[in-house]
Amino acid sequence: MSDKPAVCVQIADDLLAAAIGEASPGAVGRVELHVAACRSCRRELQGYRALEGTVATMRAESQPNEQAAQARERLETKLADLRQRLLTYRVFASPLGHILIARSELGISLVEYLDRGTSLKASRLVNEPGVETAEGGEDLEAAYRDLTEYLGGRRQRLDWPLDLRLARSDFQRAVLQATAAIPYGAVVSYVGLAHDIGKASAPRAVAQALRWNPLPIVIPCHRVIGASGALTGYAGSKLGLKRRLLTLEGVPTTTEAHAPAIRTQAMYVLYPGDREYCVPTCPSLDTRRPAPLTRFGSRRHAEAAGFAPCTTCRPDLHPISR
Amino acid sequence: MMMRQEDFGAVVSAHHDEIFRYLRRAIGPAGDAEDLSQETFLRAYRAYATLPKDANVRAWLFSIATNLAKNHFRSETRRRRAYGEVRGGAQAATSTTQEAELLSREAGGLVDGIVQRLPFKQRLAFTQRKIHGLDYGAIGKNLGCSAESARAHVFQALRKIRQGLDGYGLLPGEPAQ
Repeated sequence: MSDKPAVCVQIADDLLAAAIGEASPGAVGRVELHVAACRSCRRELQGYRALEGTVATMRAESQPNEQAAQARERLETKLADLRQRLLTYRVFASPLGHILIARSELGISLVEYLDRGTSLKASRLVNEPGVETAEGGEDLEAAYRDLTEYLGGRRQRLDWPLDLRLARSDFQRAVLQATAAIPYGAVVSYVGLAHDIGKASAPRAVAQALRWNPLPIVIPCHRVIGASGALTGYAGSKLGLKRRLLTLEGVPTTTEAHAPAIRTQAMYVLYPGDREYCVPTCPSLDTRRPAPLTRFGSRRHAEAAGFAPCTTCRPDLHPISR
Repeated sequence: MMMRQEDFGAVVSAHHDEIFRYLRRAIGPAGDAEDLSQETFLRAYRAYATLPKDANVRAWLFSIATNLAKNHFRSETRRRRAYGEVRGGAQAATSTTQEAELLSREAGGLVDGIVQRLPFKQRLAFTQRKIHGLDYGAIGKNLGCSAESARAHVFQALRKIRQGLDGYGLLPGEPAQ
């Protein structure tokens, strides 16, 4: 090899490039001239061309391949399993602090106020058994945009597909589903919600279930309050946030910072099962068995939720003045 | 715009078999190509949502697969060194390639046998360029070198393969003087 003439060594690269079709026309010309005169380089060029032909058959040869097909099948099983477990997430710096939104292939599964940090490490997902996490894409940004619009009062519904698998029990799922049905601008009590799911005696368990709501704002647990009208609690120590969310929906609240409550006398009421809403002093209510009421901050939201003004107290003619 | 995780099934159908074949050549007959191709696609799935919509998915898969092959190669080398198997390992590789050569008398099988004995980077560069048609820029990125060096690796590999085939008298042409 090393005893090649200098001219052959010099042209070796161009010769190989020419053989595999990667040489410039000028180089091809030089190579052709050289091999016309040099037998050993001619032989080399033919060798490379033959190798090109072999490589082409290698490229084509392995088209349908049983081993690959079996490997693909096993991969698909593994992927299906990962798909089940994988939650993609993003963290957003929102006006309410850092919020993590996560979703599965079924829908949004977590909206979390990150109190202890600004990354995944501060999330409950870290300790969630059987869950794998990965950074998410633009669908989560779209969800965050919706949320921002909601917090800015430019949107009243978050119509996302939801995945409630992070709920801890069937009971919690039932509580969350009932909570999701509370209309915008309305509040119900923990007692009322317990009634709704057929567990009238368990308002504390209901409150506990909402404490671990994986989807705050989306599943509006801020619309559930104490029977006395006190806001009681929200996401640990975020009572101010609960009040802010209710104010956004037109629910009047008292201004005492330490024990905020809704102003029940300034709200319209709805008796369970009724299609008509009343002023709180409606005489029709006096004749009925006491029951947990749904309250609306405004007529607009009561009517948007599908309820008509009562024909006895006529809130349409005599609205509550604040 | 970014990719949607839901569309990943199409990625598997389109690219799995090719990546599998690539890895089989990249790590050789003794390695577990299925294990690495599986890992390639599981990793890709996890990161798929963050991949820009105009990204070249095929090139991206090749880069993940190449990284895994490199790690595999490194840990294999370490393992062999740790157990003092350098000679034994080399012998084992030679005997499997000889077997492959005996089993397949055709030129493709011979080329594959020689490819298995190439230095690792040349083997990867040759396979990516000549079997899978990647461009030198992509190959350079995968191997952590320039497009120029990638091309040099491919050329070096072709030289060695040609010389190797020469010994079998399988290449046509006038006999050497």
